[in-house]
Amino acid sequence: MMTVEQIVHAFKSGEKSAEEITRGCLAVIAEKNPEINAFVEVFEADALSRAKELDEKRARGEELGALAGVPVAIKDNILYKGHKATCCSKMLENYVASYTSTVVEKLLAAGAVIIGRTNMDEFAMGSTNQTSVYGPVKNPVNTECVPGGSSGGSAAAVAAGMVPVSLGTDTGGSVRQPAGFCGVVGIKPGYGRISRYGVIAFASSADQVGVIAGNVKDAATVLEVLAGRDAHDSTSLESPVPAYASLLAKDLKGVKIGLPKGFLDGLGDDIKQRVTEAARALEKQGAQLVDVDVPHAKYAAPCYYIITSAEASSNLGRYDGIRYGYADKSATDLNAYYEESRAPFGLEVKKRIIIGTFALTSKNYEECFLKAMKVRELIREDFKKAFEQVDVLLTPTSPTTAFKLGHHDEDPLALYLADLYTCQGNIGGLAGISVPFGKDKNGLPVGVQFYGPILQEEKILNAAYHLEQNV
Amino acid sequence: MEITKKDVEVAAKLAKMRVSEQETAVYEAQLEALFNWVKELSSVNTDGVELSNVNLSAHVRADEPVTDEKRAALLRADFNASLDDCAKVKKVL
Repeated sequence: MMTVEQIVHAFKSGEKSAEEITRGCLAVIAEKNPEINAFVEVFEADALSRAKELDEKRARGEELGALAGVPVAIKDNILYKGHKATCCSKMLENYVASYTSTVVEKLLAAGAVIIGRTNMDEFAMGSTNQTSVYGPVKNPVNTECVPGGSSGGSAAAVAAGMVPVSLGTDTGGSVRQPAGFCGVVGIKPGYGRISRYGVIAFASSADQVGVIAGNVKDAATVLEVLAGRDAHDSTSLESPVPAYASLLAKDLKGVKIGLPKGFLDGLGDDIKQRVTEAARALEKQGAQLVDVDVPHAKYAAPCYYIITSAEASSNLGRYDGIRYGYADKSATDLNAYYEESRAPFGLEVKKRIIIGTFALTSKNYEECFLKAMKVRELIREDFKKAFEQVDVLLTPTSPTTAFKLGHHDEDPLALYLADLYTCQGNIGGLAGISVPFGKDKNGLPVGVQFYGPILQEEKILNAAYHLEQNV
Repeated sequence: MEITKKDVEVAAKLAKMRVSEQETAVYEAQLEALFNWVKELSSVNTDGVELSNVNLSAHVRADEPVTDEKRAALLRADFNASLDDCAKVKKVL
């Protein structure tokens, strides 16, 4: 698969047409998707028509954007007018977007070709991509393994060479963890960096759109297109967008990389060794390693499951058979109508709604929800202090590499615990990136993660880029 | 934290969701494991911790009246049918 940079160059120079590039991706999807199941729908006719438009535009000598001719896949919770967006749930199986999300508008304005929608855990709740109504995604590196989730389809599509880049969403690690499992790059910018207008909500204080790409420079290029304030999203931040890709050349001399105390405790040798090697590789390039203390970060996962479930119980209230979603016509009274219409939610989604509702009841609000919110403040304060001492933090992306499909089915709590390193970024609102760095003894990719402060994505991109050069 | 069958049923009822006997049994065990894990948080001293307030004025657009005369037409265009200048919505019950 050509990189984003190569595609844009090939298209703009006339070496390849957008149609040729698009047909190339469609051919790989046709060959590999039946096994990998990364795409739930391919917009073939639409993508080809768009590609022809771009070819005509080039022929007329019109200005071409930063992503001219680049095929991009979007997660099935991102709206693109006239196309289905189902969150891989039976609840939304017939939902067709009535408007286009800001992120897709920006991709189109930059000349991208939206090639299809990718598989995901139902309503983005999961980290294995096994809760999708369209069936599980398989990891292209080893098809007996999960690709991670919830943006498992987006990561697998890039790893399998079906597309050079895809969009995912990340509420607790759903871009970075599957990127780590599939051996590709995944970036979740800080909270507010990218508009969420037209992205189906799961947990509004944590949801962010992220980019999955084959290398750091491509991720930086696409982030640059997507970032920025949007009047349609009141949580998006007003701040100039740096030229991320061109800032990657800056060396690491004097850059302070924080190693959080105790973060490698209890990890398997493979992951521990890769993270240690990554730290040494960065040090050799002039970075300074600094031990930092983020004492409350270990509580991020329980906070995350209470807060995001509570927000989900509210956000998913809109699927009532009236405003959105499946509608059961057989009910004879309003309560039965709601209950029957909400029946298509899968087991995990129902469970999260029940957890959230339980945590918000007057009996449990203080002990569960309020407590989690207060601990979240302490975690944020820890990270704020850490970034007064260092530029970025280095951590594992996940405590393990990709595991076998079905491995944790009987122990969902073990899966929740595995989100520890990634959900800290969502609880803290931080910018985070996972970059592949070596493999484990079974040949599965190991991801390492950098965290940076909000609105300073260039720092984590730069560190990840220099580490990538060492692979 | 002990989670009972009734806890699951009450939460499901509040969320307007029908949960089968089998699902209730699964959720009861899983919620108990989860809330016992969440109990870790009780060991954290949060005395005096205040929740941060979002400065809404920095993020919310000015409260200006909608002046787009085309809005009604745009809204109607998203519906399949209209009658007497009103959008026709699907029958609920």
